[in-house]
Amino acid sequence: MSVYLKNFLRFTFILLIQVLILNKIALRWWAQPAGFPVFTPFIYPLFILLLPFETPVWALLMLGFIAGISVDTFMNTAGMHACATVLIAYLRTNVLNALLPKNLSEYPNQSPSVKNMNWMPFLVYASFLILLHHTIFFVLELWSVSNIGYLLLKIFASSITSVLFIIVYLLLFTRQVNARS
Amino acid sequence: MRNFILFVRRFFNLILFLVLEIVCIILIARTNTIQGNDIMSSANTAAGLMYKQQNDVVYYFGLRRMNDSLVNENARLRLEMAAYKSFDTLRDTNVRIAIQSTDTNKHIVEYNQYFYRTARVINNSVTEANNYITINRGSKDGISKNMAVISGTGIVGRIVHVSAHFASALSVLSVKQKVSAKLKTGEIGYITWDGVHPDVMAMEDVPQQIKVKRGDSVFTTSYSFFPADILIGTVYKTSSIKKNNQQILYLHPSTNFRNLQYVYVVENKMMDERKQLEDSVKAK
Repeated sequence: MSVYLKNFLRFTFILLIQVLILNKIALRWWAQPAGFPVFTPFIYPLFILLLPFETPVWALLMLGFIAGISVDTFMNTAGMHACATVLIAYLRTNVLNALLPKNLSEYPNQSPSVKNMNWMPFLVYASFLILLHHTIFFVLELWSVSNIGYLLLKIFASSITSVLFIIVYLLLFTRQVNARS
Repeated sequence: MRNFILFVRRFFNLILFLVLEIVCIILIARTNTIQGNDIMSSANTAAGLMYKQQNDVVYYFGLRRMNDSLVNENARLRLEMAAYKSFDTLRDTNVRIAIQSTDTNKHIVEYNQYFYRTARVINNSVTEANNYITINRGSKDGISKNMAVISGTGIVGRIVHVSAHFASALSVLSVKQKVSAKLKTGEIGYITWDGVHPDVMAMEDVPQQIKVKRGDSVFTTSYSFFPADILIGTVYKTSSIKKNNQQILYLHPSTNFRNLQYVYVVENKMMDERKQLEDSVKAK
């Protein structure tokens, strides 16, 4: 399967999961604690995170913009998701360069995955960018710092939940780990 | 010129990044204006069709609950009808009788100001700071912007985006939408939402000297785009603000926003005329 088709299918699949399933559930960590945020997990930034190593930055930016705008369309938040996703698409190359021992050009025809990065670096890579994405998104959404404790709580809690959902996605739908022989 | 091209080539990624971010910020800024943008909303045809497909599947799971709510609403409406049919002239000082346009011997004519259309909710959320509801009716069915949306039990929101077959409404659960409200006794205030709890709304601007009990109802006023006297919720807590001699009433909304199935879109036929008059006064 060509790499373009594969990534296009993955984009469609992740977008469908995000819009049809995850947007419908409202998670709360405890039953009814006062002031504790309700949130939906966002896994669609995973599409940007899993693009091949060699993708040029301009393509990452354009794909990030398209992915963000698509989610925005479904959630009536014109521009907010796109803004956050374009930012992580821009920073993706730098974060990968910092985390990987070799230069990015030495990984031909490969995508970031647990298989070639190991769990720890991959999780650091994913969590950092997801945290950044959620920070931008929730700051834009709430657009006030009067309730900064609530804002921070919402950012951290939803980032952790999103990362958990991303791990579940990776375990379910990708061949990330070598089969034990 | 050559230097400029070199500069652009060197910083192409940064420039593209900045351009895209600026586009996003313009989009965000534009959604907060009155015109909004209909292309980037769940009212557009692609998103609407997808939500409709999904709703067609999920729809059946809520049928029992929906039946119950419809029966309750029918009972309430029957009660109201009965009140109109029989009246006691000794007790009632003013009597309202339905007037046919063919009746010539009655002198009071009350216009049928509101027109109700039913619609099915095909997408709904309560977790955002500004929640939207997508319904399966659009401009082809006569829906237009700024119409009120109510449910069988209370208020829901206001139509903000319309396409041919779908429309999306900004719910009352939104930090940027305030709704004018009144108590049973007639005191006016407005309803806000904190952006956190879908079961809690606050009524502000109520003077402290007004006694409000738990369980008092709050209704819409005719000041807003909603029809008057629609239930908003019941008060469960009051707290007074020392500095401006006012109190905040916390209420549970009577609409359950988590499982909205059917809503009514209310067209106010007098709204344009009223808006025109109010704007012409403001212009002076």
